[in-house]
Amino acid sequence: MKKRAYLLLLVVFILSCKKDLPIIEGCTNQNALNYNSSATYNDGSCIFDTCIISYNPTPYTIVSPSSFPTMFIPENNPMTVEGIALGKKLFHDKILSGDGTQSCASCHLQIAGFSDTNRFSKGIDGLFGDRNASTIINAGWNTSNFWDGRAVTLEDQAFDPVVNPIEMNNTWHNVENTLNANATYKYLFKKAFNIDDIDSTHVVMAIAQFERTLISANSRYDKYFRQEVQFTPSELNGYVIFNTEQGDCFHCHSTDMFIDNLFHNNGLDAEPFLDLGLAKVTGLSSDNGKFKTPTLRNIEFSFPYMHDGRFTTLEQVVEHYNSGGHFSSTVDPLMKKLGVGLQLTNQQKQDLVAFLKTLSDTDFITNPDFTP
Amino acid sequence: MKRTLLIITSIALIFSSCKKEEEKDNTPASVQGCTDPLATNYNPAATINDGSCVYITALTINFTHTVGGVDLTTGAMIYTNAVGENYNIQTLKYLISDITLHSDDGSTILLDDVHFIDISDASTFSFTYDNIANNNYTSISYTMGLDTTKNKNNLYVNENFHATMAWPVPMGGGYHYMKLEGAYINDSTFYNTHTGGTMGGDYSFNNSSSISLNVDDNVENINIVINMEINNWYRTPNTISLAGAIMMDMMKQMQLKQNGMTDVFSVSVNQ
Repeated sequence: MKKRAYLLLLVVFILSCKKDLPIIEGCTNQNALNYNSSATYNDGSCIFDTCIISYNPTPYTIVSPSSFPTMFIPENNPMTVEGIALGKKLFHDKILSGDGTQSCASCHLQIAGFSDTNRFSKGIDGLFGDRNASTIINAGWNTSNFWDGRAVTLEDQAFDPVVNPIEMNNTWHNVENTLNANATYKYLFKKAFNIDDIDSTHVVMAIAQFERTLISANSRYDKYFRQEVQFTPSELNGYVIFNTEQGDCFHCHSTDMFIDNLFHNNGLDAEPFLDLGLAKVTGLSSDNGKFKTPTLRNIEFSFPYMHDGRFTTLEQVVEHYNSGGHFSSTVDPLMKKLGVGLQLTNQQKQDLVAFLKTLSDTDFITNPDFTP
Repeated sequence: MKRTLLIITSIALIFSSCKKEEEKDNTPASVQGCTDPLATNYNPAATINDGSCVYITALTINFTHTVGGVDLTTGAMIYTNAVGENYNIQTLKYLISDITLHSDDGSTILLDDVHFIDISDASTFSFTYDNIANNNYTSISYTMGLDTTKNKNNLYVNENFHATMAWPVPMGGGYHYMKLEGAYINDSTFYNTHTGGTMGGDYSFNNSSSISLNVDDNVENINIVINMEINNWYRTPNTISLAGAIMMDMMKQMQLKQNGMTDVFSVSVNQ
């Protein structure tokens, strides 16, 4: 009788132990395409041949925040849940770089609005570029990408850093070989794009799909216009300075997107320019020193500022416009107080910075959907 | 021998020429009809155009720009306004809306709701309305800018001019009617002639020009040219200097509207 009681206790103990261990069903065979390293129970789902993986992607619809235009999605790269998940994995995977030490996320940090807090980013070989890494915020609405606009689509953009010698310094041939030797990627590309051989085209398509989901529209600014919060008097003053010819910020940082999708020379330098900007792409001297208008959303987090990251604080940026900038042959006629400046008071400058900080969207920079 | 050859050759020639005549006789009789593939009643079998072709009339509106009567050249400091200020033109973007054709029976055709013109993009200099009904058209009207029914914040969020023409809410919202920008006096002093619905006011204006345009089945293409004479923005009745920020200046906006209505725009028809 006593023995039986002990036995019963033992059974109860074992059962409770088992309960504590989470059972994750999945494929536990490391050689399978769909090997799940966290699976504890093999459910017989292992797949060893891409040909039998079913292709049944789940469509994903981008919902444009009100007052944003409808996002343009390329016809040949429709958004799917599988494509976005694959793009997120690739974006954060160091496998894309020549020596496996850098991912896209190494220089596009979420906490910095997917830009680099370093003035210039360091490539895998220790080399530095001469421009500050662009943010990736509402980039799905960009009509061109890079500071000089040399890529039209996000797909085009993603081709560049992987093979850029001062960035990931890889070759696409090598990337394709590496990915095709990886069972997990073979499985994910099949699920997302129905392909058996992974190629560069589908790598950039997946990354672009992920980037199109990086939408920021829940800042204090957005909440103010949804009448969920009040601006402080200083923020409100800054808003008016920004949106009148007193500050004249709105002509380039236009609408709720805070971009105009155009290129301008904002009077940073006299000639000759160290960086020709748009002219490097168009070859036109009339485009010398022009750069793409960056969004101001999450500007508080995306320091340093300007194409070359020359300013570390928003106060320095405001001071640039307040002192008027430098003349050059291509300076924008919108810089109509050139050399004179906005002549704002210290309080007004503070108000402008306070307004710029209403564009901070902490939900965006901490959104777990964007992290691996 | 030579003679035989000559005879044979001559006979062969006669026969071959005879054959030709026979062939000609075999061809079907000429068919009369419309021989123009662009016509709606094109007859592929027709060999003689009998003037019966019926056309769908396409109307192209062209927007042209002059300064002092000469075609606009951007960038060069070659212009002088009524005040005597030398200036150049670097940017010209504007919205023309409610472009409407009026006929003598009172019917109208809305050719375009809103058209955006950007001097840096030649594809914006014209648009074509494909099917103009037969009628006798007597005038064309158009609005410079957007009237109050159209000049609303974010109304054109999906149009390509949305971002570049937006007019901020603290100054009334809606859109710039026009952005005319460049340098004046010297290369480093800039003007921005930006017109719009300052503080919610309506400074758009509707112009109507008499035209003589009879559209029937025989009319294939028509061109109507709407020209903007840029110097006249600053001339009559108000002499306006390029100096100063004007987006909040209701007086300047009113003066530009008056000048605009006077003689900035002219219309010509090429049929």
